[in-house]
Amino acid sequence: MSAADRDLSPEAVQRLTLDAEPWLSCDDCFEKIDEYVEQLLGGSRTLIPAMRAHLRGCGACRDEAESLVLLVAVDRGVDPEPALRELRR
Amino acid sequence: MTALSRPDPVLPELVIDDDDWFRLLSAPGPGHEEALRRLHQLLLRAARHQVTRMQARLGPVGSVRVDDIVHQAADEAMVSLLGKLSTFEGRSRFTTWAYKFGILQASVEVNRHLWRHRDVPLHELTEPSASDPTPEQVSEAAELSTAVRRAIAQALTPHQRTVAIALLVDEVPIDVLAERLGTTRNALYKTLHDARVRLRRELDLRGYDLPMPRREQDR
Repeated sequence: MSAADRDLSPEAVQRLTLDAEPWLSCDDCFEKIDEYVEQLLGGSRTLIPAMRAHLRGCGACRDEAESLVLLVAVDRGVDPEPALRELRR
Repeated sequence: MTALSRPDPVLPELVIDDDDWFRLLSAPGPGHEEALRRLHQLLLRAARHQVTRMQARLGPVGSVRVDDIVHQAADEAMVSLLGKLSTFEGRSRFTTWAYKFGILQASVEVNRHLWRHRDVPLHELTEPSASDPTPEQVSEAAELSTAVRRAIAQALTPHQRTVAIALLVDEVPIDVLAERLGTTRNALYKTLHDARVRLRRELDLRGYDLPMPRREQDR
């Protein structure tokens, strides 16, 4: 079986078909991610829907957001887990 | 002790307020050089933090090379941040704002290192043949997989297929793919977003009930 003939894994199918609406660009995500992470760590319940959608759809931005959560949580001496759970929803 | 296990640089105790960061970094004067030095420390910390998170992917890399990656990332981040200093509006703490530049650049540098000698697979998936197993013969997941392959072949443009398969099937890092294709993360994500919209529409037309994300009002 060539690479082109292989089956798609369930994970790949999920990544290919997920709903990442409303649209937000990576640049706009980067611009807002510091504010968003602080809101997450503060337990805000009024998160920006487009940021949530983008972080669901863009693995690179999500990984960097998780990294920022962990680093800022250390500085503030707070538990990062609730914010990480929210990011991975 | 490897470079990855070294502690982050210790920040001096003197705290610079957010307003002072902007003022001190904006123009030469008393405190400018010290602010630049402190900013570089912040970026080194963020870069080392991200490189450490990606340690498993790095594999056996010497401490000298790791330090090179961390410092290269911090230096690049410093240039990028200072170029965008005027966009800092105080909606987060300055340190949080600065960290994101170091994390982004470290991620780019690690992936660039990991893929420096690797070819990026740029191929398509073949459309399933008509003799593929019927839905009754395969599990629901396999049926959806076949339907997605068919939708990729029929509903996407060649460029959308290349980008979607490289990013989501072959899991090529988006910044690596952007470099190889001479484009940007932003442009690739737009292509990917449009491809997903087309795939979902095609699958919906074929009667597949795709899971929807939880909306704000559902939470």
